[in-house]
Amino acid sequence: MSVSTPAGDQRRPSVVSTGKKAAPAAKKATSSPAKKPSGTGPKKAGASSGGKGPRKPIAPIKVSQGRSWGPIALMVAVGVLAASIIGYGAYAAFQGSRSWEDRANSISGIVNYREKDPKLTEPAQHQQGKIQYTVSPPVAGPHNQDWQNCMGDVYDAQIANEHAVHSLEHGAVWITYQPNLPAAQVEELAAKVRGQEKMLMSPYEGLDKPISLQAWGYQLKVDNANDGRIDEFIKALRVNASVEGPTISCAQGITATGTEPRNLTQQGS
Amino acid sequence: MVTTETPPEATASPDGPTRAVGRRFGTVALALAIAVGLLLGYAAGWLTPTLTRPGDSSPEAGFARDMTTHHAQAVQMAMLEWRLGSDREATQIAADIATGQQGEIGVMQTWLKNWGLDPTGSEPVMAWMPDGAESVKDGLMPGMATTAELRQLEASTGRAADILFLTLMIKHHLGGIHMVDAILKLSDNSDVTEAAQRMKNLQQSEVGNMRAALDRLQ
Repeated sequence: MSVSTPAGDQRRPSVVSTGKKAAPAAKKATSSPAKKPSGTGPKKAGASSGGKGPRKPIAPIKVSQGRSWGPIALMVAVGVLAASIIGYGAYAAFQGSRSWEDRANSISGIVNYREKDPKLTEPAQHQQGKIQYTVSPPVAGPHNQDWQNCMGDVYDAQIANEHAVHSLEHGAVWITYQPNLPAAQVEELAAKVRGQEKMLMSPYEGLDKPISLQAWGYQLKVDNANDGRIDEFIKALRVNASVEGPTISCAQGITATGTEPRNLTQQGS
Repeated sequence: MVTTETPPEATASPDGPTRAVGRRFGTVALALAIAVGLLLGYAAGWLTPTLTRPGDSSPEAGFARDMTTHHAQAVQMAMLEWRLGSDREATQIAADIATGQQGEIGVMQTWLKNWGLDPTGSEPVMAWMPDGAESVKDGLMPGMATTAELRQLEASTGRAADILFLTLMIKHHLGGIHMVDAILKLSDNSDVTEAAQRMKNLQQSEVGNMRAALDRLQ
């Protein structure tokens, strides 16, 4: 109100000189006192009804004419800013509360076998010898009693599916690639694995795409090591996809390569 | 305020019914204001811990993730020594490290879970620590054994395994203490600093014990 006063004083003469504008203002003047007592309280209503009778048309003109856009714009800007801060907070809280499952599902091209084939991705038993898997490379299912070491191990030769699936059960992300993948891309992938527990990587004969990532019940196939979805997959699923929790070990497993799984009789050999 | 002012005005003014309406509206407005205030307070109480807990790139989250990795290798080496070593003191220290640090991994992973964060960060390992990223060699944090050293430990038995394990683990602990010192400087989250201080106390005393055992064996 106090801000609008100077602007109102400046414009008042032009309003008073025209008779036309006074009429709508007077109309407003008759309607507003009836409304105001209920709205803004008794103090103002008392002031307007007491002694100021003849000036009544002028006072409402002040209200309608005193609209200076600067302060209004400022208030709107402040309002928008406040709303956006609250909105961002709500967004951050919502994003933070998005589950890893939701984030995994939002990766384009990911295959979620937990939804597609729930039976396949149920916790599975140990099994001796060679095992036939329906998904290639496998993402879940029965597996050897020994897991492949997944302490950031970068294997330069093929490993046994039967051991690798056990690593997936422990929450590892297994990166596989076509043996003829350019060395620079292999190195780019290895940099994501080396030194990082719950990660392992190996070449894979007969892969239908250059690179394939596996976690328990999830698979993503991409064409290039610089694909941003690789990091998204690892962030959402490493450890999180573990069937057995974050404290299960990736060490004390098989560190040798070769596609033949170890049988119990071979222990210690 | 409204109620104390209204009665005298109401009696003085001729239009009584509107005064009553005004008073009723005032009560409604007050009730509304209290309700809105309660809601805002509740929302603030709900949002504040959500917005003030360590974020995805915080030092606390970085420490929890990277110390998990660091601990995981200590457990790996200690389990090898438990299986392959022969010295009673060295294998006993190994059992202590394997079970103790595996427990600490559980604590740190629980922090991340409670903070709504993934075990995997968006930034490179050790990025939370000043000059931390430069201290990483081949993905290995300070003090961590190389793949070649691990293979050597796997291939050793008896006294040779004891000596190699103690040598590698002393170096490993010193690197770990370096990371603990960094988080003690960077964080004021009491859960994190208390646990970090305990890690430091434990690893420092273990370094002393391992040095004495190594002297005895060599």
